[in-house]
Amino acid sequence: MKKITIVMLAVAMFLSIFAIGAQARTVSGSITINGSSALLPLMLQAKKEFTARNPRVKMAVSGTSSISGPQSVRRGVAQIGTCDWDASTNVPGFKKFDGLVANKVAAIPFATIVNSANPVNNLTQQQLIDIYTGKITNWSQVGGNDAPIVVVNRAFGSGTRVNYTAKALNGATIIRSGANYKEASSSGVMATTVRTTPNAIGYIDLVYVTSGMKALSFNGVAPTVANVINKSYPIWGYGYMMTKGQPTGATKAFIDFVQGKTFQNGAVKKMKFIPIGAIK
Amino acid sequence: MQQTNSTASKMSGRHWRLMFSDQVFKWFCLFSAIVLCVVLFSIVFFMGKTGVLTFEFVKVTEYFFSLNWNPGFDETATYGAGIFFIGTILLTLLTLIISVPISVGIAVFLAEIAPTRLKETVRPILDLLVGIPSVIYGFLGLTILVPFVAKVFGTQLGDGLLAAALVLSLMVLPTIGRISDDSIEAVPQKYREAAYAMGCTKLQTIFFVVLPAARRGIVSAIILGMTRALGETMAVVMVIGNVPQLAESLVQPTSVLTSNIVMQIMAVPFESTWNYALFFMGFSLLVVALLLIVFVRIINNRSEVQ
Repeated sequence: MKKITIVMLAVAMFLSIFAIGAQARTVSGSITINGSSALLPLMLQAKKEFTARNPRVKMAVSGTSSISGPQSVRRGVAQIGTCDWDASTNVPGFKKFDGLVANKVAAIPFATIVNSANPVNNLTQQQLIDIYTGKITNWSQVGGNDAPIVVVNRAFGSGTRVNYTAKALNGATIIRSGANYKEASSSGVMATTVRTTPNAIGYIDLVYVTSGMKALSFNGVAPTVANVINKSYPIWGYGYMMTKGQPTGATKAFIDFVQGKTFQNGAVKKMKFIPIGAIK
Repeated sequence: MQQTNSTASKMSGRHWRLMFSDQVFKWFCLFSAIVLCVVLFSIVFFMGKTGVLTFEFVKVTEYFFSLNWNPGFDETATYGAGIFFIGTILLTLLTLIISVPISVGIAVFLAEIAPTRLKETVRPILDLLVGIPSVIYGFLGLTILVPFVAKVFGTQLGDGLLAAALVLSLMVLPTIGRISDDSIEAVPQKYREAAYAMGCTKLQTIFFVVLPAARRGIVSAIILGMTRALGETMAVVMVIGNVPQLAESLVQPTSVLTSNIVMQIMAVPFESTWNYALFFMGFSLLVVALLLIVFVRIINNRSEVQ
């Protein structure tokens, strides 16, 4: 009898050590990620690096739009929904998603852009608000040429629009009509429009500012990564991974990995996002 | 036929094998046809079913006749899709006004006037044009045409119905041109000979004999071009400006059914009036396109009967 008990105990101990050992080595499970197309490249890179370390985790990553991220988490078709804003709070145009938890991915700076021929270099927040709400309609009113201002906006649901409206325009309601107003269907169309329209004003991710356009200072502060980090330039937002409740298991391991030093100082920086640790 | 027992049994083995493979193939073909019908039916049914939910929240008259498209998730939301219906109709008409004369001109030139060698070069070029992906037209429209239109009209923005109609015209030109070309080519040579024999000039022959004889083919070419113009999304969304307002001029940013659907569908929750309203727009486009295609079939059948 005693012998059997000892053997049983030994076997149990052996098995439990084995189990603990296995758990410490890798996690397993499956993670589905859906949402923001702006965060998609970063998520794909994270998937590559994470599954190399944890081969027993099956991951599927896709990108459609910011709002589809929290939506698919709420419907249970994805464990992580990427979103360009914190979907657990109310933002202009979108109600909060109750029960979802926001986990930061990286910070994304945005810039106000005008055509490179435009002499204006700086706008105050009030001037921007007045331009986007239609109170100021001529560049001469803000120290530029005597020319009408062409307001270029992004479509409803764009993460860039949500962040820009909240941070640069203080949540103001943007005009919806007029001959000098248009909505661009993507960042690419926004860039091309500002590049080819002499009197246009628009906004875009800072990393997409290229030739033919220039980024304006905001309240006298230039839009640079350094100014975002020292908090003098306020037009930026975090990208988020939304989860249903606090993350657990493989999902938690993945989020920890994305927020960890290796990934933040590696892929996040390389892809020109700002690591979350950089902003105090 | 005389057969020995062994060849007879071989033959019957082969016979059964053939019978079997024939049957399998027949059922496979039937299955393929049925799958296609089921898919088409389910698309129409699903779009319609989701779309009509709109009218639980929005009055039918408001949806079709109001010009105030201000969707949202609170009490102040309005769903007047009238602007988009008007925009689509205007855009399609403008496209046809620009493209039909030119494409029928091309067809007449190819079928009646051009020397054989030129015909053989231009026809493959038109066929290639049909195959260019619409995003390329849209991109060229955005980078070249829109700034050009703005310069010519002296406006700040070049986006609008004119830019979209020009891009669409270029897209439907080869479609209308080639089908019209074929139908003009199909007019029997004796018609032309009879016309010449009665002393008609070439111009008179083309206008009073050839074109009327090819009328049905040209009309179905135009309708097929029209369905392409109606449903084109990618190219249009890049040059129309995407503002839900009624265009006061041809160079003012506006919106049509397809461009509005693609701009907004990704951003709206699944179970919302907004989503249903967008689905109904899609359903309307689908129904119009199907009706136009049925119309083409009827025209073609009647011309065969004649």
